[in-house]
Amino acid sequence: MKQITVVAKECEDIATLIAEALASKGINIESITLETIDESSVVGLVVDQYDDALLALRDAGFDAVSEDALLIRVPDEPGSLAKIARRFHDAGIHVRSLRIIRRRQGRAIVAVSVDRTKQAFELVKDSIISEDRLRK
Amino acid sequence: MAFHLPPEQAARLDGLFEQLTNRREHYIGYPCTADLDFRELYRFLDFPINNVGDPFKDGTYGLHTHEFEREVIEWFASIFHAPEDSYWGYVTNGGTEGNMYGLYLARELHPGGMCYYSQDTHYSVAKILRVLKMPHIMIKSLPSGQIDLADLRATLNIHRDVPPIIFANIGTTMREGVDDIPQIREILADLAIPESYIHCDCALSGMTLPFMEGAPEFDFRQRVDSLSISGHKFIGSPIPCGVVLANRSHVRHIARSIEYVGSLDTTISGSRNAMTPLFLWYAIHKWGKDGFRRRVASCLENTEFAMQRFAEIGVKAWRNPHAITVVFPRPPEEIRTKWQIAVHDEIGHLVVMPHISKEQIRAFIDDYAAALHDPQQTRQRIPRSDLCATLELTP
Repeated sequence: MKQITVVAKECEDIATLIAEALASKGINIESITLETIDESSVVGLVVDQYDDALLALRDAGFDAVSEDALLIRVPDEPGSLAKIARRFHDAGIHVRSLRIIRRRQGRAIVAVSVDRTKQAFELVKDSIISEDRLRK
Repeated sequence: MAFHLPPEQAARLDGLFEQLTNRREHYIGYPCTADLDFRELYRFLDFPINNVGDPFKDGTYGLHTHEFEREVIEWFASIFHAPEDSYWGYVTNGGTEGNMYGLYLARELHPGGMCYYSQDTHYSVAKILRVLKMPHIMIKSLPSGQIDLADLRATLNIHRDVPPIIFANIGTTMREGVDDIPQIREILADLAIPESYIHCDCALSGMTLPFMEGAPEFDFRQRVDSLSISGHKFIGSPIPCGVVLANRSHVRHIARSIEYVGSLDTTISGSRNAMTPLFLWYAIHKWGKDGFRRRVASCLENTEFAMQRFAEIGVKAWRNPHAITVVFPRPPEEIRTKWQIAVHDEIGHLVVMPHISKEQIRAFIDDYAAALHDPQQTRQRIPRSDLCATLELTP
């Protein structure tokens, strides 16, 4: 079961807004989790139409991260992303992309895309967000 | 015999024309010049012109505008201080193609390189990096929109064994922040990084900074490897276009590699627009360097006028040095729609392009002030859906 994660500003009715965006395209939510991290809402979704849901969320203006990326939380300080990239590099894992999603309260939420997600997960276990989705 | 559309279809075109004419009256939020007059060139629309291939090599396809395209490239090379005979370029379909070309050159020169770009970089760059399968690390931005040099230095220091490909912004989309190329060069030198590549995305500011006194240096004087500029932004064109310029020795390098695959030219597309080089050529001759200098000065004057008007209504607006973009708190939905204001999170911006008059600025800021005092609009200033969903398409 593939999961999508939406990272947005902390927003009390985020789940409703996401549900509305998906419902308008005829997409059903099979499960939804919501956590607040550093003034950001992090919403995990399992839906019945994965690709269509990613498009619908993008069209509604949400920053949706597919399961192909690891979502991690790092200190918002110079070089913190580079340190993460270095860990992968030293382990022979190829980093395709390191993208900052949100910066708040001295922490940054970052989407990491690599060639070997499972091995990469072990290397950044200490920083991972929404750990459950990766254990599935 | 001339073809005439059926009346209902002709009416649809009339309706579209009227709609565009009306919307242009309130077109102040995007960086595209709207006072266009290219009627002298309309007759060229009667030909199937196509600039396929390298503009510096004429082929057997005779209906092209390569000669004019070359003159456009030469003009841009002169404003970006490219040494004679050291550059190559062509007219692109817009800034994105130019950025793709620059990154393509960078990847061919440094196949194991890592691209670094700031958080405020235009979203199209992430797409390009994916298409080119280039590994990349995003660097933090400062509140001004400029790349955070401390983060860049720390990041480069950790990855000194990988050739850096720096994607620099000369005017970010929302705040018109200009990355500090001399400082980036200094960091590369300090860290003794032997091989690197700098591409500059000069979409808008590439046509304003060269015409301002004391503007930051970002071009071939700073030994940048390539740069891309939009033609439909400050110059203005009815069809999106741009120019890419690159160090000629880099282009020769990729010319060797494309020989292996039997390709015939070093541009990205096959067929290329032959009309847009004419638009740019025409504008260059219409305004000349002095004319562009006057247009930039007029934009700066109007930008200052907008800042003063915002101050008078008690709104804290700001702008970067040398910028014609005024950043202010996100306006209500009604104002955004009427004046076509692009927003991101809690900010909106006005880009004071040559077609924008003081009267339009005054009318917009009057509307903004009225909305601040309208309890209904104030309540709706930032709808919840907007707070959560903040991604918007911008040219």
